[in-house]
Amino acid sequence: MIKVSHLSKRIGEVQALNDLSFVAENGQITGLLGPNGAGKTTCLRTIFGLLKPDTGTAEIEGIDVAIDPIGAKQQLGLFPDPFGLYERLTPREYIRYFAELSGLSASDAKEATSKVIAKLRLEDISDRRCKGFSQGQRMKTALAQAIVHSPSNIILDEPTRGLDVMSTRLLRDILIDLKNQGHCVLFSSHVMQEVAALCDQVIVMAQGRVVAIGSPEQLCAQTGKASLEDAFIQLIGTDEGIAA
Amino acid sequence: MIDSMIHRKSHNAGACVAIKCSNTGWHKRISTSKIISLSTLMLAMASATVWASDKPTPPTPPTNTCYVDGVSDRLNCGFVTVPENPNKPDGKQIQVHYVVLPAVKNANHEEALLAIAGGPGQSAIDNAASFNTMLNKVRQQRDILLIDQRGTGRSNLLNCDAGPQSLLAFNDDNVDSLAEAQKCRDQLTGSDVTQYGSLNAVKDFEAVRAHLGYKKLHLYGISYGTRMAQLYMRLYPEHLATVTLDGIVPMQQSVLEIGSAIERGFDLLFKDCQETAACHAEFPELKAEFDQVVARLTEGPITEQVHDPVTGEKTLLTLTRAKFYGAIRMALYQTNVRALVPHAIHQAAKGNYQPLLGLYALTTDGAGMAMGMHASVVCGEDIHRITPAMREQAKTSYVGKTMLDSLEASCSVWKVPPVDANFSEPIKSAIPTLLLSGEIDPATPPSWGELAMEKLTNAKHLVAPYATHGVAYQSCANNLIAELVRTGSVKDLDGECLKKDVRRSFYLNASSVEPLATEDATQSSKDKPKDKPSTGAKE
Amino acid sequence: MNKIIAMVRKELIDAARDKRSVMAGLYYAIGTPLIMCGLFMVLIGQLTSPDDLKISITNPDKAPDLVRFLSNKGITQGEAGAKDLKAIELIISPDYAKQMNQGKGAEITIVADNSEEKLQNSIRRLEKQLQAYSAEMGSLRLIARGIDPRVVQPLKVNVHDQATTDSKGGMILGIAIFTMIYSVFISGMNLAIDTSAGERERNSLALLLSHPLTTRQLVLSKIIAVGLFALLGLVLILLVSKVAYTFVPWQELGFSVSITSEFMALMLLVGIPVALMAACLQLFVSFMAKTFKEAQSYLTMVLFVPLALSMAASYNIAPDVLQWLPVSGQQQALMDFIKGKDMNMLQLLVSTLGTLAIAVILALGMEKSLKSEKVIFGL
Repeated sequence: MIKVSHLSKRIGEVQALNDLSFVAENGQITGLLGPNGAGKTTCLRTIFGLLKPDTGTAEIEGIDVAIDPIGAKQQLGLFPDPFGLYERLTPREYIRYFAELSGLSASDAKEATSKVIAKLRLEDISDRRCKGFSQGQRMKTALAQAIVHSPSNIILDEPTRGLDVMSTRLLRDILIDLKNQGHCVLFSSHVMQEVAALCDQVIVMAQGRVVAIGSPEQLCAQTGKASLEDAFIQLIGTDEGIAA
Repeated sequence: MIDSMIHRKSHNAGACVAIKCSNTGWHKRISTSKIISLSTLMLAMASATVWASDKPTPPTPPTNTCYVDGVSDRLNCGFVTVPENPNKPDGKQIQVHYVVLPAVKNANHEEALLAIAGGPGQSAIDNAASFNTMLNKVRQQRDILLIDQRGTGRSNLLNCDAGPQSLLAFNDDNVDSLAEAQKCRDQLTGSDVTQYGSLNAVKDFEAVRAHLGYKKLHLYGISYGTRMAQLYMRLYPEHLATVTLDGIVPMQQSVLEIGSAIERGFDLLFKDCQETAACHAEFPELKAEFDQVVARLTEGPITEQVHDPVTGEKTLLTLTRAKFYGAIRMALYQTNVRALVPHAIHQAAKGNYQPLLGLYALTTDGAGMAMGMHASVVCGEDIHRITPAMREQAKTSYVGKTMLDSLEASCSVWKVPPVDANFSEPIKSAIPTLLLSGEIDPATPPSWGELAMEKLTNAKHLVAPYATHGVAYQSCANNLIAELVRTGSVKDLDGECLKKDVRRSFYLNASSVEPLATEDATQSSKDKPKDKPSTGAKE
Repeated sequence: MNKIIAMVRKELIDAARDKRSVMAGLYYAIGTPLIMCGLFMVLIGQLTSPDDLKISITNPDKAPDLVRFLSNKGITQGEAGAKDLKAIELIISPDYAKQMNQGKGAEITIVADNSEEKLQNSIRRLEKQLQAYSAEMGSLRLIARGIDPRVVQPLKVNVHDQATTDSKGGMILGIAIFTMIYSVFISGMNLAIDTSAGERERNSLALLLSHPLTTRQLVLSKIIAVGLFALLGLVLILLVSKVAYTFVPWQELGFSVSITSEFMALMLLVGIPVALMAACLQLFVSFMAKTFKEAQSYLTMVLFVPLALSMAASYNIAPDVLQWLPVSGQQQALMDFIKGKDMNMLQLLVSTLGTLAIAVILALGMEKSLKSEKVIFGL
């Protein structure tokens, strides 16, 4: 469970986060939807303790990131944007490396790596160096890294960006799978369909604050629109920065 | 710059004297043995006496850093302690001192070159500077080992001090050789003078080698040092890599044969002058003038007031026949001093003894010879080899006769038992051996080198046409030694470079070796080939 | 601890696969001694006077004895236009014989360009031999006048040179040690940039920091990795130097340059703190830079400082205080060691502690900076 309370953060002249609060529950997929520049990435980085909020707290499984960053991050898996692959390492080395950094012992890390490779069907590329990988292959490697240590919470930053249809579908299946296993999945996106198709709960963000929270259906009902897209435009007051 | 020039100068002049010493010592003693047994004994080197008096000081550690005269580098010094008499290992012990000139870049820690000094009686360590210069190329890759042979230098020096005496005024025609010898012997009471022959000394050398841990030695022996080198070849061939014999004394020969070599040296000088246009033009009657001076001196010494060559004070010069012979003979050892001899003879014939005084002054330092040790060697190894025929022959020459008389006197006091007959057998060896002889050598002529070659199966004898005694000091032969040490073989040694014309022109007066050219000659000077000397060339 | 090991291992694997880092460091370590030795071989060949020195002699027939004396010392008349003819002319005065006979100084003129390095040795050699000839003739002139030539050498100067054949090569060794210390800085430099500025540029820094590890762990592991790489470069340059330097004929210059095992051990030992400091310095600067390129240019500037220190020590141009400073202090100690002098242990200790102190300060600075958003995201 990820809980964000009254987060505010100013970056330069911009009020990136403005009294942001929400909860992402376990066993649910939560979508952070907002136009470009809404503060989605800043919000996620704050949850990871990379950015310090001016006010407010971020808690993971009840652990305040600002107080116990290590303990909090132990519960997290991150699928970043961009992926941050090491071109000279193979996916196996890469995944195992981060497994160890997440606290697994060397042997556990090795075993977990093999498992996640099998799970994501990465075998054919698992021992090739990442340089020259397709976007889909990169995505899978990055995703494997995020879930290798079976974190209870998984955060994905714009996970479907640049993915082809097949990859997107695969990603979607995995996320649903994770949800079914009881993980808390939080992802940010500005792609409407994806959010509509996946999310149990949508948090609509604009200018650093929560505009609305609810299931896609609830949001439609709330705004009286038939489609989430229309509801969204209604909520944020403009269609700028939204992808259909 | 000025500093370095002065240094250079002094070094050069120093070397001049030193080489002379290192090459000439023992002959002087033998030929003009009266001068030696007296004058040389008396003048026994300051450096040597210093060391002699050093003996009672507490023993220094076996290896130490030290400096020696004329070499600025830090050297390793030390000594081994050996019994004076090998048959009495518990008897008197003596220290045999050595010095190692470390290689610049040691290419082979298991090898060194052992340079053996002449004499008998010279200290190798005192001559370190000239060895260092001559063996400079060898030293780039190998240590140079110098050992003061027992009885010389720092190794239980056997020398005699005859007290202060003016050598210039001294009349050596009236010397009682026997008494002088006895006087010298009396000063050496602490030592058993019969134990200072070459054979014991070679054992010492071998002990030093073992002490320093060298597996193999390259030998360089000069003059009497070649006898030591040959004995080393005979006794410890397994520890030798190569041998160079320079100015060779063959085992078969008594050093007393030197009389005829000296005569030969004088004759070659007259011949050279005769055949050199400028010298002949200036001194057409050189031989006659020489005979004329000898004849005058045979009647009795000439006495004259002169200025002392060193102090400049007025003093009496008593010029005897022995001094005259001695001065000229010593001058023949070095090509540059030899160049002054015709002028000196000519002036002496005209009644001007200044040049001769100058030459004589060069000989009065006794060449750093340890006369006690000298007698130990000669009396044990040479005197008994004199045959009646040799005795007869010696009588025909002044030098031979004087030498023999005085030596026999010394040996009757020294009482050294003669070495075994097999001592005189030629060396049989396959060790790569380079033999060097100088054509105009007044001590060890090339024929002696041939004699030494008799049973050497892997040897090369090179004769330098313009060299005197000590070929390696006067020619490219030092490079040949370096090559021999490097390659370990005499096969490819090329003596061609020895043939280079390195003669020195004779002095035509007290200032110049160059004749005054005629006006025409000056005109066409530029067209003349560079290496055709206007003086000194045989024509 | 496990995390540090994992990170160091990853950095080393990553670096080893990075041709740029490997090559930059290792080319230097292998190449420098080889190039230096090659240069010195050429230099020695040019600086030492050839065995056979060919010069132009004008009026050789005026002084045949001198000409033969010189030729015995290997100095001879060369053929005009020949390749080995050195640009040195010896002019013998036409009045040479006349002046000699009068007992005056006979005139000899050397015409040469003394600023030409390649000629200096040959000129000196010619001067020396002329001086020797002059001294010899002077001595013989005195003898001919019944005077002992030793009276004109009032001073007998004994030189006790404390140098060993090793210490005479001090200048060369100074440069050699300089290249070795330089290798510590060079070898790890690319890795340092790659693992800091490069990590951020590849967006993996944020990912790393999102994992449950402390910035101290991160900083330590990067320092260790870069330091190890720097030491690897040092080991390589030592090994290559040991072999390469033996091929140069130093003895022709009258000294020897040998890299002994003892020296190698000491160099490694002394090199460890230097490598740590180098790693800290490079990482620190690289983290401060926004991009890879920027880091490279900053580092080039920053590295000048320790190198200037090292250089100053190796040329002995520095004030004494340098002997107490990091890098130059160690360089001084190493030079003393190789020259066979007693090392000033206090100086070595002070400079080593200074080096470590700088390393620690920089590491703490880095640890702190990695908590800053600006550094993480290169803002």
